[in-house]
Parts: sequence; structure tokens; C-alpha cells
Amino acid sequence: MSEQAYAVVGGRGTMTVFEIYVKTSPERLWEAITDPQMRKRYSFGVETASEWTQGSSYSSSVPGVIEIASGENLEVDPPRRLVQSFNALWSEEVQREGTSRVTWEIEPVGGSCRLRVTHDQLSESADSELFGGWPMILSGLKTLLETGEDLDTPGSLRYADA
Amino acid sequence: MDEVFKALADPTRRELLDELFERDGQSLGALAARFPLSRFGVMKHLRVLEDAGLVITRRSGREKLHYLNPVPIRLVHDRWVGKYAEPWASALSELKKEIEEEER
Repeated sequence: MSEQAYAVVGGRGTMTVFEIYVKTSPERLWEAITDPQMRKRYSFGVETASEWTQGSSYSSSVPGVIEIASGENLEVDPPRRLVQSFNALWSEEVQREGTSRVTWEIEPVGGSCRLRVTHDQLSESADSELFGGWPMILSGLKTLLETGEDLDTPGSLRYADA
Repeated sequence: MDEVFKALADPTRRELLDELFERDGQSLGALAARFPLSRFGVMKHLRVLEDAGLVITRRSGREKLHYLNPVPIRLVHDRWVGKYAEPWASALSELKKEIEEEER
């Protein structure tokens, strides 16, 4: 029974979940995710541009330097839920991984919010580079909303001056 | 953060995280089969990890699957380790560059 369950679950690649509690309101959290200038401050300096309507596209890049990701906003329900398709673009290796899915869920808990980012529809052998940046991004998001400052640990501002 | 350190202070719980790092999204049954503990014992440890935010559960049909959430450990890293890592990392990359140049 348990061996069977083990097999059904599959490999490491197919789905990853990241969760963080941030002392802020759902509206502020939604703004931090969708406002290009706020987003840039905790995403290695990468800008994300979109109209944030259902079916619209988005593009994450450091203009003139590097394309990071692109995709479609599959579900847009402010300030609670955002589902996006995700195509990684920063290297030929990650481009070959194809399209996966990123779901942002905001849940108020007391005076804080739980933010859950689920990155799924990954291939069985997905490179951890595809989703390995989330912990640093979410840590930076928490720092920005709680202190108004940028997280400046190594790598977190990689493209900030680009 | 107290709960994170408490959760990590136990070797069985660290092994459970190792298991999830190897293979994310496992059921209680799959995890319990590889520990010399009762199902209930493993469940109690998973509960402590869940309370600390290190494990997230998701329902999939009749099963509850467990996922590793590394974000709380990242917060510990960013609070203390990150500040020291930059000079260390840049010294290492300098060393790599020198060695590679010598080899050429």
C-alpha cells in the first residue's frame, strides 16, 4: 500500500509549494505582487509588466539585459488569487523545460497574511533552477512589506543596478 | 522563529525533511514506511514540522501529501548567514578564476 502511494506521488519535479507569513493586508500584498516597481525590489531587480486582467500576458525581464519569464494570467482575482502560466527564458536549458504553472494565494490570518506560491505542472526531471529562486523572492517580499527596505543578502539584488 | 529551531532540533524531523527534499509530496503512509516508528509517531513529528511552517500539506483525492517549505530556513539564512556570505562567495569565485586561468 505505502509503496504504491510512493509511486503514485511521483518524483521531486512535478510540484513545489512555498509559504510565508507577512504582516500586511491582502491589498498591500496584491499590490507588491502586481506593481512593477515594487515587484522589482524583491525579484533580483527583475521587472514584471502586465495588465493583470484574465487572459492577459505578462513579461518578466531586465529590459535590454535579460528576459526572465513570460506567460499568461489564467486567473486574476484580486486580492486573493493569481494563476499564471510560466515559461522560463533565462537560459537555453530552462527554455527547454516548457510551460509550467504558478499559483499565488493570499489568505488573511489575524493581522497578517499567508502567501502560498505553488509552482506545479513541472516535468518529472525539472531543473531545480526553475523554482529555486522562490524562497529568496518571498523573503525579500516579506522584508519589503514589513520594513519598507530592500533585502540585500547576496544575489537578492542581482540585476538591481542593471 | 522559535518553532523553526524547535522543529529542527530533532534528528527524526530533520530526516523527514531530507526525505521530502529527495521526493516532495509524500503521503504519511509512504513516509512512515521508511521510519522505525509507529505511524502515529511519524504523524506527531510531521505535525511539529507543519506548525513551524516547514511542511505544507495538500489533499490529493483521499490522501494528504506533505511538501517541504524551505522558506522559513531561508529567513534564518537571510537574518544571519547572508550578511557573511558575500565576501566569502566572492573570494571563492576569485579563487576559481585564478585556478582556471592557471590551467589554461
